[in-house]
Amino acid sequence: MSLLHSEWLKLWTTRTTWVMLGIALLGEGLFAGLYVGLAPLSEIGDIDSVATGTGLLLVMLLVLGVLIATTEFRHGTASSTFLVSPRRYPVLLGKLGVAVLVGLLAGVVYVAINGGLALSLFSSRGGVLPATGDLVEVYAGVVISYALICAFGLGVGAIVRNQVGAIIAAIAFFFVLSPLPELLPGSLGDYFPAQAIGSLHGSSEGDGSLNQLSGGLVFAAWAFGLWALGTLLICRRDLSE
Amino acid sequence: MPELEVRRLTKRYGGTVAVDDLSFAVEAGKVTGFLGPNGAGKTTTMRALLGLLRPSSGEALVEGRPPVAMADPLRTIGAALEATAFHPGRSGRNHLRTLAVAAAIPGPRVEEVLEMVELTGAADRRVKGYSLGMRQRLALAAALLGEPRILILDEPANGLDPQGMRWLRDLLRAQAAEGRTVLVSSHLLSEVSQTAEELVMIRDGKLVAQTSLAEFTAGGGAQVRVRAADLTGLAEALGETDATVSRDGEALLVGGLGAERIGDLALQRGIALRELAPERQSLEERFIELMGDEEAAP
Repeated sequence: MSLLHSEWLKLWTTRTTWVMLGIALLGEGLFAGLYVGLAPLSEIGDIDSVATGTGLLLVMLLVLGVLIATTEFRHGTASSTFLVSPRRYPVLLGKLGVAVLVGLLAGVVYVAINGGLALSLFSSRGGVLPATGDLVEVYAGVVISYALICAFGLGVGAIVRNQVGAIIAAIAFFFVLSPLPELLPGSLGDYFPAQAIGSLHGSSEGDGSLNQLSGGLVFAAWAFGLWALGTLLICRRDLSE
Repeated sequence: MPELEVRRLTKRYGGTVAVDDLSFAVEAGKVTGFLGPNGAGKTTTMRALLGLLRPSSGEALVEGRPPVAMADPLRTIGAALEATAFHPGRSGRNHLRTLAVAAAIPGPRVEEVLEMVELTGAADRRVKGYSLGMRQRLALAAALLGEPRILILDEPANGLDPQGMRWLRDLLRAQAAEGRTVLVSSHLLSEVSQTAEELVMIRDGKLVAQTSLAEFTAGGGAQVRVRAADLTGLAEALGETDATVSRDGEALLVGGLGAERIGDLALQRGIALRELAPERQSLEERFIELMGDEEAAP
């Protein structure tokens, strides 16, 4: 618990976190307000697609997750950190907790902004809202995807350690390579990170052999697997700078 | 049981050997100077003692156990490594808070150590704007946070101004006087010779000598310059010992006997001393000779 608290303090005592999340939430808010407020109702169609947002916050949380791991190596604070806790995996467990928590927190703020703006504008313009149960499902999927993608970024950061390299690797793995699995035979492609998140969002972009829960579990397995590998590597590495 | 011990420690990086079959022990209650030219393996040895890197072979022990087995790390051992190891965007106070929280150290202790290193006024500024000396003091504050039984400081005098150096010396002596173990590295003998009682010297990853400062001062070609009211009487008294005595104008140059022994001898004979100074120059020369490296020169 004390290590979780310490990691939480580390996250919020640099401006980076505030700036990144601020920009992302502002962007998501602008999108929800402007798009739902101005676009023709016929084009908006299903409000679900607005609820999942632009992907900006998703990318920011991915990068923030990477930073939770890499800033310690970039600035050499890993040595101080591991002096307090010479056993290293509890520190990484704390970081995992923080990644999940900050993702959940950002998700809750996001839902408040997106739900408040998009839904009220949509219904005030005469759009028909889906059943509450459906909305809850969509938003729950979104919040959980934010928590998991931050953990996913942490895993990549712990493996790669070099800040720029890790950010590029995480974005490439997640976004750039995401069309490739579509080319794979059968439903194999559905198990890749971007496709699994799609299923978690309940979007039908992936061919959708996974339902929302399975999509969430598959992506959680990716995030946890990368974290576990990264933790193993950090526990074995020498800290000589 | 020594507080800190390395036993046949070897650390290789690829083909290069940073530390080569090194063994020494550090006792509590005194300041031990860890000397060697840049690249001698001091930092590697210290990092092995802190559990930050794994020995290729041999052991590094803290209170007789591997560092990862420490029950309460921050209260056992405090370390100040390179002065640059801070997040530039975090304030000094917040840096210390993250460490204190992780080790369950109460908040007021953060203010205490900030006060001790005289950083209270700058505590809320981001580390980015700190001078090298301020970073060194912040690193020391972090080391002192848990009131540890052992202090390991890597080149702590770098970047300190003369008042800072003096403050550091007083602090280290006070810590040792409280019974704590202090290991402080330097590539300059002059930096530790006013503080350390014990010296561990390494070169190319190997032990060159472990000796007390007094022995080092007395041994070899090192000399002590003495002036006394009764110079002839003192020369006679010294002649009865193994010391080599030569006359240098109004003073004697004494070899093979430490300043303390000369002082004691003078007291026994009732001779008033006017000056008693280890010849720094010859100490440095002997050190450089041992280190066999230009880099050890100031």
